[in-house]
Amino acid sequence: MSNISVYDELDQAIDQMLAAPESALASRESTVGELVELAADLRDLPRANFKSRLKLELEWEAAGRKVSTGDTDQQAVRGVAPVAGEILPSLFGKTWAGYPVRRINFALSLALHGVMAFLIGAGFLMVKSYAPQIDPRPVVTVRLEPYIVPTGTNPSNGGGSGGAAERIRASRGVAPPAAREQLTPPIILRNNAQPRLSAAVTVIAPPDLSLPRMREIGDPLSALTTPSNGAGVGGGIGEKAGGGVGGDGGPGRGPGSGGGCCGDVYSPGNGVSIPRAIYSPEPEFSDEARRSKYQGEVTLLATISADGRTRDLRVVRSLGMGLDEKAMEAVRTWRFDPAKKDGRPVAVQMNIIVSFHLF
Amino acid sequence: MNAVANLANLTSLNDERLLIQAAQSDPSRFAELYESNFNRVYAFVARRVKDREEAQDVTAEVFHQALRNLGRFQWRGVPFAAWLLRIAANALADRWQRAGREVPADTAELEAEAGPADVIEIERRAMLFQLVDRLPSDQRLVVIRRFVEQKSIREIAGELGRSEGAVKQLQFRALESLREQVRKSE
Repeated sequence: MSNISVYDELDQAIDQMLAAPESALASRESTVGELVELAADLRDLPRANFKSRLKLELEWEAAGRKVSTGDTDQQAVRGVAPVAGEILPSLFGKTWAGYPVRRINFALSLALHGVMAFLIGAGFLMVKSYAPQIDPRPVVTVRLEPYIVPTGTNPSNGGGSGGAAERIRASRGVAPPAAREQLTPPIILRNNAQPRLSAAVTVIAPPDLSLPRMREIGDPLSALTTPSNGAGVGGGIGEKAGGGVGGDGGPGRGPGSGGGCCGDVYSPGNGVSIPRAIYSPEPEFSDEARRSKYQGEVTLLATISADGRTRDLRVVRSLGMGLDEKAMEAVRTWRFDPAKKDGRPVAVQMNIIVSFHLF
Repeated sequence: MNAVANLANLTSLNDERLLIQAAQSDPSRFAELYESNFNRVYAFVARRVKDREEAQDVTAEVFHQALRNLGRFQWRGVPFAAWLLRIAANALADRWQRAGREVPADTAELEAEAGPADVIEIERRAMLFQLVDRLPSDQRLVVIRRFVEQKSIREIAGELGRSEGAVKQLQFRALESLREQVRKSE
């Protein structure tokens, strides 16, 4: 008989023995019979954890802990968890864990928790509370605005006047064309009708300024119609000197004096585009302003040249606390796609408003 | 040979007496008496009750009573197990009377007590139970599953993740090993 068949034979005999415990066992003479008889005795073995749990319970009792003989302890000995839940049974000396419960441990734990709760409470009472220090996060915003020339009290430039020392005032007419420079002052009554070298009469004024066209040139503000160059001197039309038209003297036209035109710096609008920043690092917040939580706006007047750089920076509206300098320091490094007029880059004056805010 | 056996028994009795005295002065030492007598008491009780749960209940009751009454125990040269078996017999008699068995108290006690033939059988089974604890862990596990929990070979194989043939082999080897050790001790 092979070993395999012995295993099967034994297993079948054990199955029969377990199924019918009262039936006659196999013959004791055979190996299987002896083993089955042994197996029959093993049916009475206690459960695996019974011995250790009972020993544990006896140790508790021997240690002086009162052990009740209630259902829960019986369940504990058998290794069965209680069906009805008790509230913290271990606090009252009962447990299903593998170690005894000592009430002194509970008392010590309670005392320690009490001390800790007292210390925590005392900490709240004794320590002065400070508002949380939040590091202000500076936010700097920048916007570009066309430069608006502030209204001043000084007389404006740009006017002109002239004349030929005549007895009557200059006659009415339209101002001659404007030009960047004047070669020939305007004149109503010409002494030499056929000059050898002729040149167009102009006044110094923005050349793109359009005015109504009239046949005769003259002083637009005059009411006289009798042709006259005016009582002024030095050529031109008007009562003063300087080769211009009307005003207080100079080669320009209108009120004022000195002629005014055509610097190389424009203001956006009227065909001049707004420059676009292509490199604009944000200004830093100054330490002083951050500490003082100081915020506001700095307005700078800047000329943005045709090459896209900023120049002639000037603070129009100051903020202080070092923020003006920080704003200028940053704006100096900016680069622009310059403003354009008729497709070519030109310099413009712009307001650059830098806002410093803390959140 | 008999002299040697008698000397061994005497030494064992003396050791037990010392253990009892130690436990009487320090109850925590009772655990040693428990360890040496548990299987004997359980085997005695298990032969007399109808199921395992009841056997465990009575065994627990016996040792609790023994611990509580240890101070009243008087050494008379009789093994401590005899005193425990007497407690067990009384506990069984009480249970039977409470359960309504129509037998006089004296008769119940006599039924519960162990006769000479019983003592040999109890010792044999106690030894068998003790030997199970010394089996290799996989064999002991199969024995517990098969005979205590009465599971089939297939169920055990599924729990242990082994083939049914392997479990049958473990079962065979465990029983054979137990038989050999019982023979040696006899």
